[in-house]
Amino acid sequence: MRISAALPTGVAALLFESARRRRLAERRLVALLEGAGYAEAILPILDYLEPYEALLTPAGRNELYRFIDRDGEQLALRGDFTPMLARLLAPRLAALDLPLRLYYRGDVVRYEEERAGRQREFYQVGAELLGIPGEAAESEILRLFLAALAPEAEGDIQVVLGFAGALDRLLLDAALPGAADPAALAAAVARRERAPVRRACPRLLAVVETGLPERADDLGPEAAPRLASLLALRDELAARFPAARLTVDLAEFARHGLDPRLAAEAGARPYYDGVVFHAFAGAGAIPVGGGGRYDSLFRRLGAEVAAVGFSLSLERLLAGHPAATDQETSR
Amino acid sequence: MIRLALPKGRNLEVTLAAFRAAGLLRGYDGAGRSLLTVVAEAGTAGIEVLSLKDWDLPLYVEHGVADCGVVGSDVLGEVDGDLLVPLRLTAGRSRLSLIGRTRELPPAGGQVRLATKYPQTARRVVAGRPWGAEIVELSGSIELAPLLALAEVALDIVQTGRTLAENNLVEIETVAEVAACFVVNRASYQRHRRLLNDWIGRLEAAEVAA
Repeated sequence: MRISAALPTGVAALLFESARRRRLAERRLVALLEGAGYAEAILPILDYLEPYEALLTPAGRNELYRFIDRDGEQLALRGDFTPMLARLLAPRLAALDLPLRLYYRGDVVRYEEERAGRQREFYQVGAELLGIPGEAAESEILRLFLAALAPEAEGDIQVVLGFAGALDRLLLDAALPGAADPAALAAAVARRERAPVRRACPRLLAVVETGLPERADDLGPEAAPRLASLLALRDELAARFPAARLTVDLAEFARHGLDPRLAAEAGARPYYDGVVFHAFAGAGAIPVGGGGRYDSLFRRLGAEVAAVGFSLSLERLLAGHPAATDQETSR
Repeated sequence: MIRLALPKGRNLEVTLAAFRAAGLLRGYDGAGRSLLTVVAEAGTAGIEVLSLKDWDLPLYVEHGVADCGVVGSDVLGEVDGDLLVPLRLTAGRSRLSLIGRTRELPPAGGQVRLATKYPQTARRVVAGRPWGAEIVELSGSIELAPLLALAEVALDIVQTGRTLAENNLVEIETVAEVAACFVVNRASYQRHRRLLNDWIGRLEAAEVAA
């Protein structure tokens, strides 16, 4: 009998050199995280669906692999480390010494429509920092993120920074009765569509063009000072990582609204409620990972703690390199 | 160097006319002949022009192989990657419409067959209707399907309506306006923002895109 070596759509087997390269990159990242004082958390690949039900957006629900176990329990394959770690830590937080520095590594599985470059199984390495409020934690996590990226991306790194809720006031002001729906307008800003943005709110046009408002005050009294501190953080990181291109672009995260009227357009990982960032790396400028602040995720799980983290996809980080030729994929 | 993907087919002429009206690509004459042409352009190290089929173009831009490109909104509706869509060209617009042998939509509660090149768009259209449809995906000559009763209705591009009239078919309802869209890779927009904003401004100023 001949056995086919074909694999299901969206998963890959790494053999020989590609396996060696992935493990090398993983070992380097783990050494970096452990060197920075982060301890490993090993999490299961399966969990109950129920704890995540209230946290899922329709898009998040669609990408989960869910099934019913033999005992009738609804289970899901791990689709994201952050909520899993948060739901396991939230009931234990009172008994733990803060701050907590944790890292994880392993596969996440998400349903993606079949398309080139869209895998359904990703190997992630990530870090979470709990219990330090404000910019100190954001700065630590971003420094770690950039240090993790730098050698793998051979210096070709673009990191885009923003914060959730930055454009809420402009979007909601534009969406007075008779004007555009704020969630649809947020989507148009994220896609940098000039015409609908100009019609709805000329002040948003500067954000679409440059990533920043003409005057910080346009963002409102809460968001304006946050923009100033984000720009200062960007400058601090740029001085430390001169090879990386760091930009603050609020339009990039226009879908990360905090107001409930904007929440329907939340991004793929909708729990970020403060600083949010993502990176592109390599010659093809592939999205390789990102992160942000997510205190409200813990709040929804009944715990009060400041939380910031990031994750990186190792396949994507290594994808830009020609040496990855013996990767056996299903397509 | 920035890499621009131009579409083969019906959107090419419209795209070149728009870019030339904006003072861009004036040195480009290899439309469709070469896979990759370098065009000298003031204010740049040159533009590398890539000639691609409509349906492949969004993937090239999403993967950063091309920094930007022009593709029909009909195609974007099917293979919409994570792309920026700053502008829609004003010329060459058409409509995506439901067509059939009579002017009537299927009755509420009815079930029909719908022939189309655009199955994802068709599913979104049908999801909001009181009738259901089995989507029949075809790769061309969509108007033949209702004509020869392979399907009761079709979802297809209508430009002048002449093909429909010649085949005794009617446009039942316009579902969307179709335009050639200027699309940009998310990371390229960060990297080449000044140049791309300049192009966008010139296309808008020449009133060939909005």
